[in-house]
Amino acid sequence: MTAEGAVIDRGAVRPVMSRRGWMLRALIVLAVLGIVAQAVVVVQARPQDLVTGVHGMADLLSRSWPPAVGGIGQELWPALETVDIGIFGTVFAVFLALPLAILAARNTTPLLPAYYAARSLIAICRAVPDLVWALLFVTAVGLGPFAGALALTVHSVGMLGRLLAEVIEDMDMGPMEALATTGAGRLQVFAHAVVPTVLPSLLGIALYRLDENIRSSLVLGFVGAGGIGFELLSAMSLFDYQTVSLLLIMTFAIVMGAERLSAALRRRVA
Amino acid sequence: MSHAPALIEAQNLNMRYVTGRLALQGASLSVAAGEFAVILGANGSGKSTMLRIIAGITKPTDGQVRIAGQDITGLKGRHLAEARMALGMVFQHANLVKRRSVLANVVCGTLGRHRNALTALGMLPAQELPFGLRCLERVGLTKFAYQRASTLSGGQAQRASIARALAQRPAALLADEPLASLDPEAAEEVMRLLRRLAKEEGMAVLAVLHQPDIARRYADRLLGLRKGVIAFADQPANVTDGEIDSLYEGFATT
Repeated sequence: MTAEGAVIDRGAVRPVMSRRGWMLRALIVLAVLGIVAQAVVVVQARPQDLVTGVHGMADLLSRSWPPAVGGIGQELWPALETVDIGIFGTVFAVFLALPLAILAARNTTPLLPAYYAARSLIAICRAVPDLVWALLFVTAVGLGPFAGALALTVHSVGMLGRLLAEVIEDMDMGPMEALATTGAGRLQVFAHAVVPTVLPSLLGIALYRLDENIRSSLVLGFVGAGGIGFELLSAMSLFDYQTVSLLLIMTFAIVMGAERLSAALRRRVA
Repeated sequence: MSHAPALIEAQNLNMRYVTGRLALQGASLSVAAGEFAVILGANGSGKSTMLRIIAGITKPTDGQVRIAGQDITGLKGRHLAEARMALGMVFQHANLVKRRSVLANVVCGTLGRHRNALTALGMLPAQELPFGLRCLERVGLTKFAYQRASTLSGGQAQRASIARALAQRPAALLADEPLASLDPEAAEEVMRLLRRLAKEEGMAVLAVLHQPDIARRYADRLLGLRKGVIAFADQPANVTDGEIDSLYEGFATT
C-alpha cells in the first residue's frame, strides 16, 4: 500500500546505468519470459486447436439458436432464487461484519486478543472461496439455495469485514473521544459516533458486494446450491443448447441489471 | 476571590513522566462557580497535561483533583465516568458527527444518563429532544437544529459542541484550545459564549488558550504556567504584558 507512493519520483535522479545494472535488467527480463513460458507449457496451450475447433464452435452456436424463449416461464423462479441468494448473503453479512469490523479495527477494538480473533475469523471467511463454502454447506444443509445463501454470507463477512475495518481505522477519532467524555458507554459511542460516520462507506461497500454476490450466486448453482447456475448445468449435461443460450441471456440481464442498479445506488449514497 | 463554591479544584499536582521529565510541579488552581479562568503557557509548559489531569484522562503522580467537590483522582472505570459527567469538555475541533443533525449531536450529550439497550443500538432518548433544543438556544443555534452538522461554519460547529457539553448538565466546563481552528470573529463569538455561561448560568469555566490578548479581554482570571509551575494567577488587570511575555521566552514561534 505504501510502496506505491515511494516510487513516484523514479527517474528524478538517474545515474548512468552501470554494467551491473544492465546485467540485473537482463536477468529480470529473462526471469519474466521464463515464467510466462512455463505457464504456456503447463496449461497445454495449443493455438492450432482454436483453428481446428472453429467447426465445433460454429456447430455449437447453430444448435443454440434460437434460444428456447418458450421455456422462460420455468426459468423465472431459478432466476429469482439467484438474485435472492445474493441479497440474503449481502444483508446478513453486513450485520455480522459490522461488529466484527469494530473488533478488528485497531482504534476501536476493546482488547488485543479480540482484535486478533476477529482478524483471523475475517481472514478465514475471505480466504476460502465462496464456491468451496458452497460445497461445504451443500454437504451440511443439503442441495438448494439455502446452501448458496450461507456460502455467500460467510464469504462476504470476510470481504466486508476487512474493508469495514479499514474504513473504521481511517475514521476521524474526534467524535468518538468527545462522546466518551460526555459519559456515554462503549456501545453508545459505537452506535452514535462510529456507525453514523462510516455509514455512507458501509452502504457503498455493501452495494458493491451485492453486485458481486449476485454474480457469484450464478456460479454457485454448479455445485448444487440452487439458482440459475443449477439450471445451466442441467441444460449443458442434456446438450439442450437452446435452453443454455436462453439462460446465458438471462444471466447477462441479471448481471448487467445488478451492476447498473448497484452503481446508481452507490452514486446516491456517496 | 469570591464566596461561590469552587467547582474545579486542583491541589499540588505533580506529574513526572516515565522518561523522568517533570511536567507539573506543585501546580494548584481552583475555579469557582460563575468564574471564567484561562490557562496560558508555551508549548511544553504543562498546560495540556494539567487539563488532561483535571479532565480525569491522565492520572497525576500525586496531587488531588476535585470536581464539584468530589475527588476524582482515585476513581476508576464507571465511577470515574460518572464523576466526570459533572465536567463538560470542549475540544480544539468541534468533533461533531457531520452526517447527523445538529440536534442529534447535542442530544448525544445526554447519553450518559440514558444507558439502555435502545440507545446502545443508536436510538436517541426522545424525551431529551426538548432539552437538546434548549441547550441549542443557550448557544444561539436554535434555527440550525435540524440541519446536518456538516452545514455549520467553524464557529457554529464549536458552539454546537458546547451545546453538546451542556446537554450533559455539567457544573463546570473545560475547554482545550477551543479557538485553535477558528477565525478571529468566530473566536470572539465562542469566548463571549463561554463568558456568558459562567456569568449567567453560574458555571465554572476553565480554558487553555494560546492567545493572551483575547484571554485578557474575556477571562476573570489568568493562570500562567511556566515549566510546570504556576507563575501567576490573577485578574487580567493585575497581570502585566511582561509577565505574559515571560511565559513564551525562548518560544519565538508561538
